[in-house]
Amino acid sequence: MAFLHLNKVEKYYGNVHAIKGIDLAIEKGEFIVFVGPSGCGKSTLLRMIAGLEEIDKGSLHLDGKDISQTHPSKRDLAMVFQSYALYPHMTVTENMSFALKLAKESSAVIKQKVNDAAEKLDLTQYLDRTPKELSGGQRQRVAIGRAIVRSPKVFLFDEPLSNLDAALRGQTRVEIAHLHRELEATSIYVTHDQVEAMTLADRVVVMQAGVIEQVGTPMELYDYPANKFVAQFIGMPSMNILPSTLFRDAPYHTTEVGIRPEHFKLIAPDQAQLTGEIEMVEALGNETLTHININDQSQQIIVRQHQRSQLKPGQKVGLQWDTPKLHYFDDQGLVIR
Amino acid sequence: MAKRISYSNILRTLFAWLIALLLFFPLLFLIITAFKTELQAIAVPSIWSFTPTFENFSEVQDRSDYANYAINSIITSSASTLLGLLMAVPAAYSMAFAPTRRTKDILMWMLSTKMMPAVGALIPIYVIFQSFGMLDTLGALTIIFTLMNLPIMVWMLYSYFKDIPFEIIEAARIDGAGLWEEFRHVLLPIGMGGIASTGLLCFVMAWNEAFWALNLGSANAGTLATMIASYSSPEGLFWAKLSAASLMAIGPIVVFGWFSQKQLVQGMTFGAVK
Ligand SMILES: Nc1ncnc2c1ncn2[C@@H]1O[C@H](COP(=O)(O)OP(=O)(O)O)[C@@H](O)[C@H]1O
Ligand SMILES: [Mg+2]
Repeated sequence: MAFLHLNKVEKYYGNVHAIKGIDLAIEKGEFIVFVGPSGCGKSTLLRMIAGLEEIDKGSLHLDGKDISQTHPSKRDLAMVFQSYALYPHMTVTENMSFALKLAKESSAVIKQKVNDAAEKLDLTQYLDRTPKELSGGQRQRVAIGRAIVRSPKVFLFDEPLSNLDAALRGQTRVEIAHLHRELEATSIYVTHDQVEAMTLADRVVVMQAGVIEQVGTPMELYDYPANKFVAQFIGMPSMNILPSTLFRDAPYHTTEVGIRPEHFKLIAPDQAQLTGEIEMVEALGNETLTHININDQSQQIIVRQHQRSQLKPGQKVGLQWDTPKLHYFDDQGLVIR
Repeated sequence: MAKRISYSNILRTLFAWLIALLLFFPLLFLIITAFKTELQAIAVPSIWSFTPTFENFSEVQDRSDYANYAINSIITSSASTLLGLLMAVPAAYSMAFAPTRRTKDILMWMLSTKMMPAVGALIPIYVIFQSFGMLDTLGALTIIFTLMNLPIMVWMLYSYFKDIPFEIIEAARIDGAGLWEEFRHVLLPIGMGGIASTGLLCFVMAWNEAFWALNLGSANAGTLATMIASYSSPEGLFWAKLSAASLMAIGPIVVFGWFSQKQLVQGMTFGAVK
């Protein structure tokens, strides 16, 4: 059995079936990211693992033991909350020592561990402050410090970066990746941001409406999405979805075809099987995103080029694609291989 | 920058003072009367210049054992406050942090019991205490004060606890805190302001309680409130002594309230923990 094993886990909130039977096996040391649109049940699933929500059906095993009914205090997990949830009446040192004190560690060991964590997180000069005397980024690091001093079996993160501004978010993301490499601790990280998912995860769990849509490494999800939802959720800008009628040699049963923005090539209109009119050109410096209306203006696609473009809105262009890079979907949205 | 003094400001200030004096006047009259002789006290129109006398206070002390009443007040007020907190804190905790669909209804129901006139429950409660042989005991008063204040205590604590972000408590649980540690190290320190002001308020309300104190315990278990009342009966009214007794009864609680003012106000605003 895997280190952390969820077996047909379900959750109801009254009539709302929030988690609809989830099976997942997580290996020791893995960094797993739950990603999906808001309200899909990521936090609920994480909180069920933490023991903060009851598991209505199914079971949860950690390190060979069934912990489905275990009180959170006995699960040996650490969690970083979106709101940080620091103890407002304690200093940074006290916040980070709390769990160790409860675990009856000696004060010398506590001191050592807190100082180590503070050094790693650049918090040494703030140890005597209370949370309200810290900036958002510093609070965030205290929350992480509170988790890492304990060396728990699993780290849980619930959207830990969503309260930070963009610059700090990027920086902290790198720090978390660095910490994970250093500590090699099993981690489960919840986010709705697919960039965080792709950059941090060993494996990504894509969720929608209480079910898992696909589990895989970031590149597997990008290259081989199992269905239309994953195909469109992973990747920025989203994969273009076109009707199969535009593709003569699509497999039987195909209703829609997906093409990533970078798998189009822009060519002269008279040589192309598909033409369109440019709606907008976004020049980002390192790449150019061209929005093109096709099918008599009824649909818009986005094309990504890694060079600069002389094209202007209103111009007609032709589109060409790499046939091996196409994704074929049936009427259920499942991929046809 | 010089402060601009406008007429409307002056008027507003005068008006505020007027209202304040109007509200304070009965208390002032009581204080003054306590230092008059009985004759001066009933004189109409009121006498405003006289030689103050302490005679009333010593007479009150002689006639009714002030210390005894005071001790009864202290015991019943503190015991009912402690007992009330012991029940209200867990109740408010579970309502704030583990609400069910019925929690709001239960809270409303608790409050609705305060809308019934106390006299409506007098007979059954009297009979109950009588059959337990508890009439005129400190135990009976403590119990009745506790029950009287319990709905308010639960409500106040509930609203304080509601302001504490639940994630802080969840964080403590994940950090390894069991129920007791969660209470001792997180809820208690964060909610201390709210718990203290609830306790203070209920202490004052129990101290000032007269209806139940008079009806259930006026001889042995009488509190200071009943001492005041004893000056308004059989032999007629003795304004000066009544005033002196009142002053002696409310004195301690006013002083107490004055010193705990800071704590009370702090308690009211402490909820703002982010
Ligand atoms: N305490 C709750 N009571 C009722 N419904 C809830 C509760 N918590 C979450 N839900 C519902 O469960 C679903 C999943 O929520 P959540 O796990 O918070 O989503 P996510 O974290 O992916 O945004 C949502 O439909 C949400 O409305
Ligand atoms: Mg969430």
